[in-house]
Amino acid sequence: MILLLAIALGLATGICWARWRGQPYQPPELQNLWLVFVAFLPQFIVVYLPITRRLFPDWLVVGFLLASQIMLLIFVWLNRRMMGMSILLCGVALNILVMTTNGGFMPISPQTASRLVSEDTLREIGPGSRFGIKDILLHPEDTRFEWLADRFLPPVWFPYQVAFSLGDVFIALGAFWLLAQPTSTLQFTKQLIDNRGIST
Amino acid sequence: MKNKLISLFFSAQKINRQHIQLVLVIVSIAMLALGIGAPTDGSGGR
Repeated sequence: MILLLAIALGLATGICWARWRGQPYQPPELQNLWLVFVAFLPQFIVVYLPITRRLFPDWLVVGFLLASQIMLLIFVWLNRRMMGMSILLCGVALNILVMTTNGGFMPISPQTASRLVSEDTLREIGPGSRFGIKDILLHPEDTRFEWLADRFLPPVWFPYQVAFSLGDVFIALGAFWLLAQPTSTLQFTKQLIDNRGIST
Repeated sequence: MKNKLISLFFSAQKINRQHIQLVLVIVSIAMLALGIGAPTDGSGGR
């Protein structure tokens, strides 16, 4: 939900920016787009689709999840010349690192999880069990790279409570940038910095 | 009815290649973000 919000905001910003300049909105020119559809399909079946996600054992889910994320990482790498994709690349790398070193799922501490579900539900789940869609409930002392886990939360007064990782922040920023500034490439940014350097 | 069909035909003609490309790109970015991101709101329990 939080990532889809970043995409919607990025698109709205990009359209407003294009209108303000009096030009039509140009979507980012992504290479090998088919790879995203192929990569997301196994993950959609084992993690997102409510009918099928209960059918698979955890070890198989981990395998599909990892294969899917590696394919998505390849897609991001192939499009890394775009500024937004470079930011996304950092997010993917951080999330893959923390997930692979913690049994294939994103760790979340019971303390963080207690903000999302009731105490009774939390007691039923217990440490070491899956939580939510891609998470696993782990104590911070049992978590590798704990600083990369789902440990950030919005303020208590915020109506929508969600736990997210540092990698998720980069992913949201990257997706936003990709749609808000679709023509922004690393080379363009470098040229801009060089030109400013010359003029000063 | 006939007028409605005609207006539908003309509005469908406005959906050009660029619009389809935009939808494809947005859908793929959404899939990419959902595929590599792992935020949880606790509602997607098993």
